[in-house]
Amino acid sequence: MSTATAPSLAIPGQLLGPASKFRPGPGTHIHDANLYSSLLGLVHVTQPAKAPGPAKRLTKITPAPAPAELPTVSVSASDQKLKREVLPEVGNTVLCRVMRIMPRQAVVAILVCGDTVLDAEWQGLIRVQDVRATEKDRVKIYESFRPGDIVRAEVISLGDQANYYLSTARNELGVILATSEAGNTMYPVTWKEYRDPATGLTEMRKVAKPY
Amino acid sequence: MTDRRRINGPAGATIPPVYDDESRLDLKTATGRSRPPNAIRKMYLKTGVTPSASGSAYLEIETSGKPGVSGLKLSCSVHGPRSLPRSSPFSPHIVLSTHVKYAPFATKQRRGYLRDPSERDLGTHLEAALRGSIIADRWPKSGVDIIISIIEGDQDRETSRFQGDEVWDMMNALSGCITVASAALADAGIDCVDTVAGGVAALVQNTSDDSTTSIVVDPIPSEHEKILAACCIAYLPTRDEVTNLWFRGDLPASDMELYTRLVEQGIQASANANRVLVECLNGTVG
Repeated sequence: MSTATAPSLAIPGQLLGPASKFRPGPGTHIHDANLYSSLLGLVHVTQPAKAPGPAKRLTKITPAPAPAELPTVSVSASDQKLKREVLPEVGNTVLCRVMRIMPRQAVVAILVCGDTVLDAEWQGLIRVQDVRATEKDRVKIYESFRPGDIVRAEVISLGDQANYYLSTARNELGVILATSEAGNTMYPVTWKEYRDPATGLTEMRKVAKPY
Repeated sequence: MTDRRRINGPAGATIPPVYDDESRLDLKTATGRSRPPNAIRKMYLKTGVTPSASGSAYLEIETSGKPGVSGLKLSCSVHGPRSLPRSSPFSPHIVLSTHVKYAPFATKQRRGYLRDPSERDLGTHLEAALRGSIIADRWPKSGVDIIISIIEGDQDRETSRFQGDEVWDMMNALSGCITVASAALADAGIDCVDTVAGGVAALVQNTSDDSTTSIVVDPIPSEHEKILAACCIAYLPTRDEVTNLWFRGDLPASDMELYTRLVEQGIQASANANRVLVECLNGTVG
């Protein structure tokens, strides 16, 4: 039950091991209580993180190995291709550019999902009720986003046929890069204001809290 | 549908005339099969041939020893997963679209630039074969395009002398399409439960005077006097599942076992093609 049991190279449909000994990771699937590869690539077996500190003496009877303690086996493409195409999923934090704004919603293009730059361009939608968590009824889209802004947002739904639904209703979500009407890159001053260093004018945005 | 946008070549056959003199007569008879009945032709498969596509593969099946008979050359490119067009409805899983196109020069009869019904038919069969192997729900709201160009169509220039039916050639082409698309999908990194491969088995009559029939895999129409029936099978070897079955021809209704044997041989041919596929995929990584 270590790296030696799993083969190093897998093709789709190749048996990787019994599901009782491994947890399925990305690029694998389970069929008939066995783990099979579903991608062409190299097999990685990740051992579960050990609990820090010395092992405690057992003071109570626990059920035999919980699934979380099994090593995870995953298949990923080798280095020749940099990264496999990924899709935005619910809960992911994405970076996107505002394409156009409407009174009820802002249409954005999702550029980065997690740490991966996407090849395909996916369209997202930030509805007026998802811009911030408080005073939702006072939100105005044009006081929150402008076309061209770079926004950090969270995926809340796969949405309809064309759009992912995104939300910026957290302190660390919102506009992270904005340009003023004069065309200068601005810096954030408050939670809802950006200031242009050249003209000194402020503009309204839903500002992401800097880390 | 006529193609009025391009300047097309002559519609008929584009081969030089063959004169019927004494020395050529022996070439025109059915040569008979040069391989054992359960052996498929040698094939060459390579992935990653098109850099701009997400995944691609190239398949070549050797030509027979007889002059004037071409082999099969297929090029497949996979684009995606990518976002669906705005007009299409919501889909919780990946949307597969397959395009099979004969190059205009691929067959004896020149093909048009637009897809004709037989090419659409091949595309539909291919989609059915692949849909059974793809784990579609890993990629919601996305689509993948599988485009196959048949560069050389595995046809005998003298087919009209033997049998004018193109369907038997289409079956060989489909089995190649399935194998090459499977390799290209694996190259593109789209989740599949198994590597699907195609195989063809046929019931043939070897001499015109004799009524005995035999079952062969990977048939070349020019090697046999007559093909009575054939089936093309897409098969998942580790799952032991058939994802697509295309059967055509006449079998004696009394003999149900013949039908089963034909399908078994088709599965056998597909398993043989799969060995090439596995070998090719193993060679790409490492």
